[in-house]
Amino acid sequence: MFGNRVEGLALTLPAAVFAAALFLLPVGILLSEAFRTPEGWSLSAYWDFFASPRNRTVFWRSITLAAEVAAASAVIGYAAAYAIVTLPPKARGRVFGLVILPLMISPVARTYAWLVILGRTGFVNQALVGLGILDSPLRILFSETAVFIGLLQLFLPLMVISLVSAMENMPKDAIPAARVLGANWAQVFARVILPLTREGLVIGGTLVFTGSLTAYITPAILGGSKVLMLETLLYQRVAVANDFVSASVIAMILIVASFSANLLLKRMASARRARA
Amino acid sequence: MSEFLSLEDLTLAYGGSVAVDRLNLGIRRGELIALLGPSGCGKTTTMRAIAGLLSPKSGTIRLDGRDVTRVAPSRREVGLVFQSYALFPHLTVFENVAFGLRLRKEGDLAAKVAAGLATVGLSDFADRAPAALSGGQQQRVALARSLVMNPKVLLLDEPLSNLDARLRLEMRLELQRVQRETGVTMIFVTHDQAEALALADRIVVMRDGKIEQVGSPEQIWTEPASGFVADFVGFETILPDPETGGALAWRPAAVTLGEGPHRGVIRGASFAGAHREYVLDTALGVVKAETPASVPPLAPGAEVAFDLPRARAVRLASA
Amino acid sequence: MNGRLAAWAVLGLVLTFLIGPFLIIIAAALSAGESLAFPPQGLSLKWVVKVFEIESFRASFGVSMFLAVFGTLAALALGVPAAYGLNRYRVPGAEAVRTIVSAPIIVPGIIVGLALLRYLVIPTGVGIGPALFLAHTALILPYAVRVVSASLENLRTDIEEAAVLLGCTRFGAFRRVVLPNIRGGVLAAFILGFVTSFNQVPVSLFLSGPGVRTLPVDMIAYMEINYDPSVAALSALLAFMSVAIVFAAEKFLGFSKYV
Repeated sequence: MFGNRVEGLALTLPAAVFAAALFLLPVGILLSEAFRTPEGWSLSAYWDFFASPRNRTVFWRSITLAAEVAAASAVIGYAAAYAIVTLPPKARGRVFGLVILPLMISPVARTYAWLVILGRTGFVNQALVGLGILDSPLRILFSETAVFIGLLQLFLPLMVISLVSAMENMPKDAIPAARVLGANWAQVFARVILPLTREGLVIGGTLVFTGSLTAYITPAILGGSKVLMLETLLYQRVAVANDFVSASVIAMILIVASFSANLLLKRMASARRARA
Repeated sequence: MSEFLSLEDLTLAYGGSVAVDRLNLGIRRGELIALLGPSGCGKTTTMRAIAGLLSPKSGTIRLDGRDVTRVAPSRREVGLVFQSYALFPHLTVFENVAFGLRLRKEGDLAAKVAAGLATVGLSDFADRAPAALSGGQQQRVALARSLVMNPKVLLLDEPLSNLDARLRLEMRLELQRVQRETGVTMIFVTHDQAEALALADRIVVMRDGKIEQVGSPEQIWTEPASGFVADFVGFETILPDPETGGALAWRPAAVTLGEGPHRGVIRGASFAGAHREYVLDTALGVVKAETPASVPPLAPGAEVAFDLPRARAVRLASA
Repeated sequence: MNGRLAAWAVLGLVLTFLIGPFLIIIAAALSAGESLAFPPQGLSLKWVVKVFEIESFRASFGVSMFLAVFGTLAALALGVPAAYGLNRYRVPGAEAVRTIVSAPIIVPGIIVGLALLRYLVIPTGVGIGPALFLAHTALILPYAVRVVSASLENLRTDIEEAAVLLGCTRFGAFRRVVLPNIRGGVLAAFILGFVTSFNQVPVSLFLSGPGVRTLPVDMIAYMEINYDPSVAALSALLAFMSVAIVFAAEKFLGFSKYV
């Protein structure tokens, strides 16, 4: 009954054509912009981009920060996920709900909260000065630390979700079995938990890394022009200098990163399906 | 043409490969037909083609004097009770049965649905959700949903296979009663020869997309036309017949154990209540035999004499 | 028992880190003072009231609402048929269609916004408003296709055949039998699309002009100039709105099983 190809195409083509016209085409032209020079096609825009020390700084800062956020969320994520799966089912559902709740809230609101907390008259400084630990408020905002904190709060839930579902799929008696065999906690983690949840770690890590790498709001609000990252640099190049060539190069970097991450995730998902 | 439904040179492809190959079959009005065969023999594909859910590659389907080969399923006046019942989960039992009637904008809806539910003994369940019914009850709803449409042909896909043994007998009687009362032409698909024998007026045995034999249950049971059909209805020992060049087939009960010209070794024995079943390794090949339970058992590994009496064998054109 | 205690301690810290900032925002929003601070200088609702008085917030809230509602509806209008076609038919090039339709998830929003500004708005003279609408529709499309596909996969196909045999056309079978049974999935897709669109910043960053600006972009612009608690009040209100929507959705349709 569902053999009719024409009907199938009629149903799917509008969406495909729409997405192609609004995404593939304009984005493709934008990406091609860096390769087009008055003398024909060339890679010189990429050389020029990376020749600038500021651009190199932004590039490495984005990658380093994203990696740091991913690493920190992995460490915290394992502790949190393990704590969640050991809870009784009812409490587990509630705590899990609280962990993913922030994902539904506007990232602007989530980031803005840190402005209140880390600002000169913010919570942290008031506390430090009030307790006599510091004489004058610390400058935390507009630093890499502020961006790091903001990104970690934004993306930690994704890591926790991945690790919780990986741990729920772990054989129930694996940990007690290893304990009975005399393993200490470090050994249990390295020999049992880590290998059995590696997939969840990779999935969570990829989501957090690409999320941080392609973030705009957090570096814009908490980093400002002092701590530019790739997306804020892109915005600045276009808004301030009308520099579409740099924008095109940055777009390529972001798309390649995000596309390879997606490919990795898809491969992991299909490998999992093949095993199931 | 006296046939009510006829399939002429019907060829069906399914997923690129030919599932049914130039099939010819005539069915009379009011008959209860079983399409019998192992999975993959093309019986379900044939049924779907009759319903119009599958377009034939070639050939003709004629129903009540009309060529319906290219007619949309919704206009064929053919009912189908799916193996999984396919009740609409979002509708009550009443609304499931009323579904087709509403589309036809028929009057007297409530009375017709009530009559349909009464036919299958579910009058008290009209307001239930399908998920709140047992498998057997769901099947009756599906049956009522098709019957109220007064289909010219009612198709049933493995109507008994999802039911437990007790319900199976009940449903068998129910289907026969419904068929008697409504006179609807019924075709059901099954892989179970016992079901086909017990229920059908005529049985169509299919194999690899072709018809192997068509006949009454008695004919199929006593005069299988081929080794395949013979094996399917329980002639478990089939040996070539040197006299005719054809083959001979015996049911286990037709094999004499304990005396005779041949010798064999008992490889397996099992007790089946009224009788004991044996598998023998012999010079002729594997022979399956049985004895009444009252006969003392034979031990596996023992050598035993046996006979394959020609008088109790059926003759086949080929093995 | 020690383990249980440690587990709660870890969760306490993590939840404080994740949820705590919102509590601080709420406190800051209720401040009676003139500038952003915590702890608040006295309690009052004046900043909450002020949010509703700021003209640009009212306008941009309208824009964001419009985009979230109608962008999601448009994405569903494209996405539901596409999901149905991909799940029920053997479509030639199905894999390519799937990839193209889900591309908007892979491409960072800021690039899409920039590309549309440069190659759609500027050359063709299409307004910022329509461009925003198209961009948001495309952004939500992958979610619509994914969530609706998931509920179609859980729906048996033989009920459509049964409906056709009882007299429905193919479209009739879809409308009477498929749609009522995937209603939960479609509603979940709507909510997910709505929240995604409403919270979206990067796509809308370049696509903003006089009178057409989404609320989150407007908030960022406002906080670059002003350092008063009105954005805190607005953030708190938005957080409440999201939480209320998701909570209601979870309560009435078990939202989380679709996402």
